[in-house]
Amino acid sequence: MNFDFTEHEKKIFIQVQDILTAFLQEYPLDNNSTMVKELLKRLFSTSYCFLKEEENFSAPALMHTMEIIARVSPSLYLSLETNLRLFGLILDTYAPDWMPDFYKGDILGAVALTEETMNIDNDPFETKAVKQGDQFSINGSKKFVINGTVADYIAVVGQLEEHPAIFLVEKNNPGLNISKSGPMMGFEETPIAALTLTDCLIPSTSMLGPFKEATFLKSLRMWENQILMGACLGMMTTSFEKAKTYANTHKTGGKPIIAYQEVAFKLAEMLTLLQTSQLFAYRSISANSKEAESLTLCAKVFCSEAAEKVTGASLQILSGTALSNGYAASQAYLGAKYAQISGTSTEIARVKIGDSALGY
Amino acid sequence: MDFDFTREQLMFKKEVVRFAKKEIVPRVQEHDLNSEFDLESFRKMGEFGILGLHFPEEYGGGGADVVTTVLAGEALGEAGVDGGLTLAYGAHSFLCADTIFRHGTEEQRRRYVPKLASGEWIGCMGLSEPEAGSDVASLAATAEKKGDQYILNGTKMWITNGPIADVAVVYAKTQPELQHAGISAFIIEKGTPGFSAGQPLIKLGVRTSKTSELVLKDCVLPVQNLLGKEGEGFLMAMQTVEWDRSALLAPFVGGTTYLLKKCVQYAKGRKQFGKPIGHFQAIKHKIADIRIFGEAARNLVYRIAWCKDQGRPLNHLEAAIAKLFIGDWSLAVTNDALVLHGGYGYTHEFVVERILRDTLLAPIGGGTSEIQKKIISKLM
Repeated sequence: MNFDFTEHEKKIFIQVQDILTAFLQEYPLDNNSTMVKELLKRLFSTSYCFLKEEENFSAPALMHTMEIIARVSPSLYLSLETNLRLFGLILDTYAPDWMPDFYKGDILGAVALTEETMNIDNDPFETKAVKQGDQFSINGSKKFVINGTVADYIAVVGQLEEHPAIFLVEKNNPGLNISKSGPMMGFEETPIAALTLTDCLIPSTSMLGPFKEATFLKSLRMWENQILMGACLGMMTTSFEKAKTYANTHKTGGKPIIAYQEVAFKLAEMLTLLQTSQLFAYRSISANSKEAESLTLCAKVFCSEAAEKVTGASLQILSGTALSNGYAASQAYLGAKYAQISGTSTEIARVKIGDSALGY
Repeated sequence: MDFDFTREQLMFKKEVVRFAKKEIVPRVQEHDLNSEFDLESFRKMGEFGILGLHFPEEYGGGGADVVTTVLAGEALGEAGVDGGLTLAYGAHSFLCADTIFRHGTEEQRRRYVPKLASGEWIGCMGLSEPEAGSDVASLAATAEKKGDQYILNGTKMWITNGPIADVAVVYAKTQPELQHAGISAFIIEKGTPGFSAGQPLIKLGVRTSKTSELVLKDCVLPVQNLLGKEGEGFLMAMQTVEWDRSALLAPFVGGTTYLLKKCVQYAKGRKQFGKPIGHFQAIKHKIADIRIFGEAARNLVYRIAWCKDQGRPLNHLEAAIAKLFIGDWSLAVTNDALVLHGGYGYTHEFVVERILRDTLLAPIGGGTSEIQKKIISKLM
């Protein structure tokens, strides 16, 4: 048992923070592909980008680094993480030849999982591929594809006969239509798209799978949930800090509003939820494989619901200031709700946690 | 960071669970119903080594580290030991015995710690007063030095183990004008003239722990009964908070595991509309919430325990966060557990009724949730 980060890990936190600070001085906060790729190139020199746990950089340290990035921009964070942890995981597992280019930051990827009526846990994919000579023809549609408008490659998850498979589709591939989705709650700058695939032909070498076991998709889903937890920690920290600063500086009745118990106690509750969430997220990401899935679901439910409470309380303290459009705390509030819906929704997560406890 | 326990710690936890299930739990409901302290179980805890687990062997202890000691508390809760007995254990082992061990002279240690570690004697701590709870500086009890004696006067309130204790660590002001800095600690044995316990209070929960006031009326103590030095009492009381926020909270964490098992058992057995209620999503949600709370709370408690093992001074912010979270959130899941049991849950036939009553102390005892918020908002 050890509740400390190592000195080496702390140095990496500072390194990542410094890279972010320098980067944001050069680039305005806009999530285009050039920007994401450029930031990735700079971050690839740090342990944050490694897909496998390093001996001297623990999983909780990775989660804390994720939090550091999400504090700065939840939208940018979501783009980075989707590329690194989801698209990168797919490449690393099934297309290792691509990894040198990936680690150079030359490839930006997206993962297309969600469909109109499909629930990953209950239904087969409606996006289907059929073999045509040495190619696959894909038909279907996908929604909420993070990085969809900026990715060089999109990993489309679909059905090949009775098993799921992943199809790597280039952005300019004929038959692939990408349409930008409207701004998302809380992650306004995240490039999210809807896809339509109509007789979209890809070479058979770009098909990964098919997966007879659901293990890999579960692993993807688990990382998706971990990514959302990192976003929640970042948004909670930002919201808490903004509310605390405001409470210390904004005066009413001749004294800073933190002098009023209603405000001070609200901040205390926020910090309690933030620290509890942090420890929970750190523990879940380092859980052994036996309990990893259910513990991740527990932590995801907790962190995303805590995020809604913390960001909501932050808005209350910031009062009118926070209601102006685009304010970080109000974006975080919407982002917290997004985190409850995205990945494994809190409802489905609770059913799964309950099933696990009940032995169903 | 590493959240894992060692293999030895996990094996020890299993042993404690097994011991508690066999030796304590069968009598829990009966003692709760009769509001009786379970002396037999308490002594068995001493024999097993739980009461003095963290003391060195030469004082009758087990030489365990803090994390292992906290794990034992979690194990008691997980086995189904009631909140009354675990509270009595906490007040005895940590608020009384540990204070004597940490601050006592060698003579005081030798006289009291082995007897407390074995359970031969029962200990308590007298800090709170009718008009001074968390506001320790307002203590009214006084200790006036006259020659080689102290004369103590005052009343202590809400004293866990008060009516049954053989020895008490009592706080009183030796220099009232100095506020915190004027508080000193004393060891008082049962039967000392001028020292008495009131009638046990009738409580909503934790009924098997006996709680009363302690009355000091011209209670004469030799100077040898001073614990540490004059004026160090406040610091001593604050140091007990380390235990209060780890070992005393641990049974709540373990109790959540027990609660989860009870709910699962009921949900799988109870049928409505032709199927076990566990198949309904609303029930699964309640069960999930119990698990989520327990897992979240666990990390907070062990962070404090681990830091104590590293010899670090208590981080009062983290301690208050642990207390606030467990105090406030445990009630919701315990209430859910009772509701899940329907009408049966409302009866003494099912343990959830007792657990809810016991849990109601969580946001009050050891400093209310409001006090924790006050501490957090001051330190953040």
